[in-house]
Amino acid sequence: MNDLATPRLSPATLSALADIVGAERVLTDAESAAHYGRDWTRFHTPTPSAVLLPGSIEEVQDIVRLAAREGLAIVPSGGRTGLSAGAVAANGELVIALDRLSSIADFNPVERTVRCGAGVITEQLQQFAEGQGLYYPVDFASAGSSQIGGNISTNAGGIKVIRHGMTRDWVAGLKLVTGTGELLDLNRGLVKNNAGYDLRQLVIGAEGTLGIVVEATMALARPPQDPAVLVLGVPDMGAIMQVLAAYQAKMDLQAFEFFSELALQKVVEHQGLQRPFETPAEYYALLEFEQLTGADMEQAMALFEHCVEQGWVVDGVASQSVAQAESLWRLREDISETISRWTPYKNDISTTVAKVPDFLSEVEQVVNGAYPDFEIVWFGHIGDGNVHLNVLKPDDLPVDEFKQRCGEVSQWVFEIVQRYGGSVSAEHGVGLLKKDYLPYSRSELEIDLMRQIKRAFDPAGIMNPGKIFDA
Amino acid sequence: MKVLVAVKRVVDYNVKVRAKADGSDVDLNNVKMAINPFCEIAVEEAVRLKEAGVASEVVVVSVGEKSCQEQIRTALALGADRGIQVETEGAVEPLVVAKLLKGVVEKEQPQLVILGKQSIDGDNNQTGQMLGALANMAQGTFASEVKVDGDAVSVTREVDGGLQTVKLKLPAIVTTDLRLNEPRYASLPNIMKAKKKQLDVFSPADLGVEVKSHLTQLRVEPPAERQAGIKVASVDELVDKLKNEAKVI
Ligand SMILES: Cc1cc2nc3c(=O)[nH]c(=O)nc-3n(C[C@H](O)[C@H](O)[C@H](O)COP(=O)(O)OP(=O)(O)OC[C@H]3O[C@@H](n4cnc5c(N)ncnc54)[C@H](O)[C@@H]3O)c2cc1C
Repeated sequence: MNDLATPRLSPATLSALADIVGAERVLTDAESAAHYGRDWTRFHTPTPSAVLLPGSIEEVQDIVRLAAREGLAIVPSGGRTGLSAGAVAANGELVIALDRLSSIADFNPVERTVRCGAGVITEQLQQFAEGQGLYYPVDFASAGSSQIGGNISTNAGGIKVIRHGMTRDWVAGLKLVTGTGELLDLNRGLVKNNAGYDLRQLVIGAEGTLGIVVEATMALARPPQDPAVLVLGVPDMGAIMQVLAAYQAKMDLQAFEFFSELALQKVVEHQGLQRPFETPAEYYALLEFEQLTGADMEQAMALFEHCVEQGWVVDGVASQSVAQAESLWRLREDISETISRWTPYKNDISTTVAKVPDFLSEVEQVVNGAYPDFEIVWFGHIGDGNVHLNVLKPDDLPVDEFKQRCGEVSQWVFEIVQRYGGSVSAEHGVGLLKKDYLPYSRSELEIDLMRQIKRAFDPAGIMNPGKIFDA
Repeated sequence: MKVLVAVKRVVDYNVKVRAKADGSDVDLNNVKMAINPFCEIAVEEAVRLKEAGVASEVVVVSVGEKSCQEQIRTALALGADRGIQVETEGAVEPLVVAKLLKGVVEKEQPQLVILGKQSIDGDNNQTGQMLGALANMAQGTFASEVKVDGDAVSVTREVDGGLQTVKLKLPAIVTTDLRLNEPRYASLPNIMKAKKKQLDVFSPADLGVEVKSHLTQLRVEPPAERQAGIKVASVDELVDKLKNEAKVI
């Protein structure tokens, strides 16, 4: 059955696809199209020609070969929590959803690795690791829905990057179906492998433009010991960086996040959470550290005292239990979801850590000048030099007009990013949403090399075309 | 008015506990410990009474090994004025705790004693009631609201099917239910101040109590693991399985 207005696949193509994955795994109804045809962003109308749910690597290969023959564009779809319109099929593409490649197998306790299908949910891997007395350290608020294939394709970061790095650091090997339907087995779990280019690294963060990640061997870590959380009230951005420097000089932080007072107000109001303390502050820093011995908390307290004396911190709390640590984390983790009701225009920008205060004050000046009537919510992984700027849409403003006004200001923001040698997309990828701004972060030569690399993997140009850059 | 609050050190509410391999007890090796959540609510209520000018002093007491001083310090950071540890070894059953608390009540002469309705490890729900009987004090258990009024306290209790309000003459005992309040976070400045607050240690003998055990724990085992669910293709299959496999219809 085909409910879709545009565009339709020929009956012959539909039946060939049904032969590959089974008729009930070729979805063309409007509901499936809307469900599988877009990610977390809401700026495009999903119009996939069909949604396919392959159950094996061979089926993925067969679909891609057919698509290459017929010149059909493909959008790989993971958990669709992406924030850059990467997993958006707005041009009648075939959506390949990896949900069914969800096996976790071949756990290797010596190497601390495990083989995951692309469709394994991030949280499932975290729980699997926990069951083995280990830890998968890539974590963020959407981990309950995002998939390992999606995490790899966006090189997802999150809240533990300061200590554990990005997804890239945990991919010991991966299998990729290229744009011609061939299967590459990249790196095979090796720790050391300097035999030529590491193509695996090109695939990580490629947003599905080089092929479809179908499987990965993921590395696991030792679990953190008795993590404690502090939330500190901070008067200004400069002070946040001083606090970061003070703590990092003495401790290995697991996380260093920040959020603004408005962000806190929104989560407190909409999630029914408790404020950490009543003392007013412009910004809040959330720190997590391991307590290997009692001395760690002592150290953290001594640093707190020092920061208060210096005027960098106005107040703070420390978690006294796991439940409290989780509640404090929610103050930060619930922000994205809380503000999603205002269709926020998100900028995910970064610079080197030391430049953040100057960078931010310039961005803030531009943004406050340009959006005097808009609410602006700041938060992010400031310990990595990464801030999320969120402009909330006033309820009475139409989406298009809102998007247009934000787009204008984005340009100025990205000019600042460029001057600081920063990135227009620190961890969310480029997708459709940021591709116009890619030149602010990447030289023409770089982008041209990217195009050539894409052609090498995907000569027919069918893998997520139009994402990151135009062919 | 002096308020005495009892707190217990228990396995952190969010930790998944495991039984020891030999089934003799819960494995507490390297497990995160915290204040029993109901006791935390008791501390919060006492501190609020103090902030409202109703209580003049809040004394926190814990019965347990030396490590329970951590939880006493947490209560001090939340706003209690001083602490008392009654040092015991191993697991102490509710009757003994109640007797020890009675000893502390006699020493301190509080007008109000606030305890959690139960601790999440033993789930006994006995200590407050036993203390009420031993100390011959009125008791308002499962409190969701506490109002002190002159020489009386009214306590709204969460009972099956609704709320019951009782008025007790002071001195009295209150045990807390979950909805009484939402405990605050311990602020870092207060955690530091708490380190300097007075904490006295007594032995059971100081309180004239002999620690005896009347209960023997036979076995600890984890709950049966839930079997994975299955998907059925049709209503008929479901009915068939309910009838013939599960035998529930
Ligand atoms: C509340 C919230 C909080 C978030 N916080 C963070 C954060 O802290 N840090 C962070 O980095 N991100 C964050 N994100 C963004 C997002 O969750 C990540 O980018 C995540 O990695 C996306 O995974 P996914 O499976 O949902 O991918 P999708 O959104 O489905 O896809 C993302 C991109 O990868 C491609 N893709 C997906 N699967 C495959 C595959 N198997 N093979 C090839 N290409 C594929 C898609 O085509 C698309 O281009 C957040 C999102 C939300 C909604």
